[in-house]
Amino acid sequence: MSTIKIDKVRKCFGSVEVLKEFNQVFEDKEFITLLGPSGCGKTTMLRMLAGFEKPTSGTISIDDKVVSSDKVFIPPEKRDIGMVFQSYAVWPHMTVFDNIAYPLKIKKVPKDVIKQKVDAIMEVVHLSQYADRIPSQLSGGQQQRVALGRALVAEPNLLLLDEPLSNLDAKLRENMRFEIKAIQKKLGITVVYVTHDQIEAMTMSDKVIVINDGVIQQVGNPMEIYRNPANQFVAAFVGKIDFIHATSENGKITIKDTDQTLDYDGELTGDVVVAIRPESIHLCREGGKLRGVMDNKTFMGDVNDCYVRLPNGKGVRVIAPPETYDIYEIGEEIGLDFDTFHVYEDDGTDAATKIVT
Amino acid sequence: MKKFFAILMAAIMTLSLAACGPTQTGIDTDGLEIHEEVTGKVVIYTSMYQDIIEALQVTLDTVFPNCEIEFFQGGTGTIQSKVTAELEGGKLGCDILMVAEPAYALELKELGLLHAYDSPEKENLAFDYDPEGYWYPVRISNMVLAYNPDLYSEDEVASSFYDFANDPDLKGMISMSNPLTSGTALASAVGLSSTYGYEYFDALAAQDVMVESGSVALTKLETGECKEIMILEESVLKKREEEGSSIACIYPTDGTIVCPSPIMTITDEMSANANSAACEVITDWFLSLEGQSAIVAGWMHSVRSDYPEPPYDAIPTSEILKNVLSVDWEFCYKNRSEVRTEFEEKVKIPES
Amino acid sequence: MANPAAAVEPVSKKLYFDIKWLLIFVIIAFLVIFEVFPLLYLVFRAFFPEGGFSLEAFQRVYSYPLNWTALKNTVITAGASMILGVLIAFPLAWLVGRTNLYFKKFFRTLFVMTYMVPPYVGAMAWLRLLNPRVGTLNVFLQELFNLSETPFNIYSVGGLIWVLTTFYYPYAFITISRAMENMDPSLEEASKISGASPLKTVATITLPMMAPSIVAAALLVFVSAASCYGIPSIIGAPGNVDTVTTRIIDFVYIGSSEGLSDATTLAVFLMLIANLVLYLSTFVVGRKQYITVSGKSVRPNIVDLGKWRIPATIAVIVFAIIVVVIPFATVFATSFTVNMGKDLFEAGNFTLKYWQVVFTRKQILNSAQNSIVAASVAATLGIIISCTMAYLLTRTRARGRKIPDFLITVGSGTPSIVIALGLIMTMNGKFGINIYNTLFIIIVAYMIKYLLMGMRTIVSAMTQIHESLEEAAQISGAGWLRRFKDVILPLIGPSVVAGWFLIFMPCFYELTMSTLLYSTDTKTIGYELYQYQTYHSQQTASAMAAAILIFVVVVNWILNKVTKGKFSI
Repeated sequence: MSTIKIDKVRKCFGSVEVLKEFNQVFEDKEFITLLGPSGCGKTTMLRMLAGFEKPTSGTISIDDKVVSSDKVFIPPEKRDIGMVFQSYAVWPHMTVFDNIAYPLKIKKVPKDVIKQKVDAIMEVVHLSQYADRIPSQLSGGQQQRVALGRALVAEPNLLLLDEPLSNLDAKLRENMRFEIKAIQKKLGITVVYVTHDQIEAMTMSDKVIVINDGVIQQVGNPMEIYRNPANQFVAAFVGKIDFIHATSENGKITIKDTDQTLDYDGELTGDVVVAIRPESIHLCREGGKLRGVMDNKTFMGDVNDCYVRLPNGKGVRVIAPPETYDIYEIGEEIGLDFDTFHVYEDDGTDAATKIVT
Repeated sequence: MKKFFAILMAAIMTLSLAACGPTQTGIDTDGLEIHEEVTGKVVIYTSMYQDIIEALQVTLDTVFPNCEIEFFQGGTGTIQSKVTAELEGGKLGCDILMVAEPAYALELKELGLLHAYDSPEKENLAFDYDPEGYWYPVRISNMVLAYNPDLYSEDEVASSFYDFANDPDLKGMISMSNPLTSGTALASAVGLSSTYGYEYFDALAAQDVMVESGSVALTKLETGECKEIMILEESVLKKREEEGSSIACIYPTDGTIVCPSPIMTITDEMSANANSAACEVITDWFLSLEGQSAIVAGWMHSVRSDYPEPPYDAIPTSEILKNVLSVDWEFCYKNRSEVRTEFEEKVKIPES
Repeated sequence: MANPAAAVEPVSKKLYFDIKWLLIFVIIAFLVIFEVFPLLYLVFRAFFPEGGFSLEAFQRVYSYPLNWTALKNTVITAGASMILGVLIAFPLAWLVGRTNLYFKKFFRTLFVMTYMVPPYVGAMAWLRLLNPRVGTLNVFLQELFNLSETPFNIYSVGGLIWVLTTFYYPYAFITISRAMENMDPSLEEASKISGASPLKTVATITLPMMAPSIVAAALLVFVSAASCYGIPSIIGAPGNVDTVTTRIIDFVYIGSSEGLSDATTLAVFLMLIANLVLYLSTFVVGRKQYITVSGKSVRPNIVDLGKWRIPATIAVIVFAIIVVVIPFATVFATSFTVNMGKDLFEAGNFTLKYWQVVFTRKQILNSAQNSIVAASVAATLGIIISCTMAYLLTRTRARGRKIPDFLITVGSGTPSIVIALGLIMTMNGKFGINIYNTLFIIIVAYMIKYLLMGMRTIVSAMTQIHESLEEAAQISGAGWLRRFKDVILPLIGPSVVAGWFLIFMPCFYELTMSTLLYSTDTKTIGYELYQYQTYHSQQTASAMAAAILIFVVVVNWILNKVTKGKFSI
């Protein structure tokens, strides 16, 4: 079992505070993803869990044992953790077998046991036929699996993965997502996974922690994060989103520069942003909560990806069922209907945030 | 790899042992007087040739079976700087010095480093020694001129030190040792500048004289790069005997520069082994006919008036002494840096 | 993991840092005692010659025009050798390391071998080839082109630069090719994909990437050339071209206390200049370190020279003949010649007696043994320090790790003669340590002077190993030493062997320091060689040099065979 408690952890590099107060508890056998754009502090957090970085302040405990605090610091080699690096870090001078066997050799496991365990792990990561190759004879995906095998072979209770799929091609990445998840389930270990790819986060995690600028934005399971983004950043970073500028007053939200309004029972007043998931919008000829003109449409096979222009000129992206492509023509006035929307104070984030990362 | 080194070393050693012995150009060790009473250890710093020392070592081991005599060989400059550096530390690494010329002996005597000893052999010496017994001359080195008869005739080269520096035909083709680093070269510079004034250095500079070591200069005579060089007679004699070289000495008409090299014992307070008793016996031995034969075998002249013959291929010592360009050793000691500076400024600084 | 372990951990944490700290402390202590103290003592002595403060020595030394000429000559010759050396070494390193040049492996060995030959032997060879009267090559060229006089004069600043360059460019070649062979080929591939020609790629990608190594190489050449004594004493002295080193030795050989003061005073200047340059460069280079090897394993890529393959090969062959073959052949020929004025093949002019002397003269054999022992010990201790330092420098943020690095740089920037002087004056028992007249003082001097070359080699190898490779071992449970042994050492293994040799070789034939530090039992082969060269017999000296050369070639060949080509120089 492996429970991780992160208590008031801060990290500064010189005068730059890269991680502000971080408090979390990771439960045993959980798949936790730290999600956020580059430089948000997620890798730093992971490296502190591993012990490669020392927190500036705060306490980290693994299984009720303090591994890092003001007084105690246990170096990585004593933490019994598995880790896969973004660059894989497979040793070029060792064969695949030797690479994977290494953690067991360090633990002075008897030779025959090593052989048995390494063979088993190579089976798991589909490398059995490459045991005697050296890494430069392997493809990127194979090297990545060597790294994964090595991280798993000592049967750690905690596995850390630092953007392990970022160097792989899309197809392989998709396969590896499922494989990693399957291995985690099979071995029953706690996994902390760092990525900036929200799809990886959504498809694999039990719990997603969205981080930006060193601050936790939201913690929750993928569904919660997607359905109820805690703020404009999360809404923008996870999934697709339309932001519409508006003003909130007396239980009514008025879209900027139009007379279209929405009913609102929240507390925010003044300048706000209305956030709607494009795939939650239904197109209709008549009625609808908002109205606009069909500006552009693209047939994607499974969906009709189109833009509807509101009277104030704002384009709203709508992901509609494919059959709507034939129903609504460009230039046609059209209604937008949706069940849920979120209202945030306008912090200047726009829907393109995640592209920038 | 270590193994390889070991094997290589072993191979070299075996080779050496096999070929050792017969090549020694030693002195006949039969009938020598053995000094068993001399004990302890004595370290000698000397500028004599390595080959001579290796031969001497064999003789000395026979003559002084109970005394461990060790040689440290180096150029005069090396030894002088070693002594100076050691003085800083308060103690010398040697017991006997056999190096340089009397000027150095005068300096060491004034520093109070020398042990006085009245040697019975002094009666037989043909050269000046310290009346109080602080030093005795032990070997004679002569600064002469040399040329290569295979390439040039004797008329084509200078017959005097004066012409050496003034004959325009020699320009750019002469060479001499560095007075800054060589004792005998300094003595020569002192002698020549006393005789001809510092203008002599100007003349040398105008000749584009090359300032370099003896072995290099000799090779330049062989190859023809130099026409004539100023060099120690012993270097030429050695080359003639060992390599059958035809390079010949010219005993300059304005006088050979004769440098008696002293033997000096260091006081017990300053010496490495505080073994002046042994040093006295060793000094006597070096001044004896036996000891002198080793010197003469090393192509230097004997200091004894009764020594029968000169070194290999040399003219008799008495012939040389008939025409000497004299050096004032006291002056040499006192004005050493002035002469060096003059030489440097005139000869070594390029005209530009 | 059980709870009680928590109580133990603080201890383990302490231990974890203490080892590093202890290592740094030991290395610093060594350097402080044997380097900093002697050098400071020298500086002190320059200002306080007779116990009281005095600038007399400074005034005397620096008001003397000959010393200024010497300083100027040193800066010019070392500067020019540096520039030429890099200009030669960079294209050579690229051709040999990264292209499909013919015989490149052979060339590599050949060029590195120049490093293995005592520079003063080369000086002697060039003197024979290019002296203005009868220089063999000079006369040949004169006849070939029907010139009125011989084209070259070796006894000049130009001659000095030429010989310094031909003997010190290998320092740059070694440094640059090591970096070049470790470069991630995809960086160059990316350039080619972008449409750049091979030459353009070299100019825009390879060259800038190599910049730190090139700067490091250039400085190594500069400092080596500036503190070289053998070459200027043989080439410069006859033409009255003095350098600071020959002046210092002159002062030392004067043998008086005043001479020592003057030597010290002049040395202080050279020491400061050399170290200032070194320090500035480390500072500049230190800010521009590129990590060129990623954690991913890459295959080395080879540039196809295409139609330039044969011309390039011919150019390299010509260069090799001029710079390596001709001088070495001269040395070999000399070792068999009775009369240097005659043709080697003339009747009776061929002899083996000089070779016999080399292998029979007791003193020479003892000296060879001394040198092997001293150089091996210096290289082994040196490489241990180098590995430790490289590790501390590139992998830790341990406080104080820059101090030994700085001191090692200072040591190598300090002219040999200065190190030797300092050691003599302080290690004779006056201050409680007496290693004077022992082999140990020689070993210490060698280490201080030549550690840097080994350390730089290993640091450069180390910076090019991605940190994650080691972190992966760490997370696998390997401790500090274990990681070093399992991951770092195998990856930098070839560099370690190379580094060992880079320290061993210059120590093996070291001349300048040995000249002052030797005693009866501790003469070295370098000193012996120089003695024979200048005082006794150049032929014997040539035979010794040739023997050293053969020794080096054989060792290299065996290493290469035994390790199947992995470890060679």
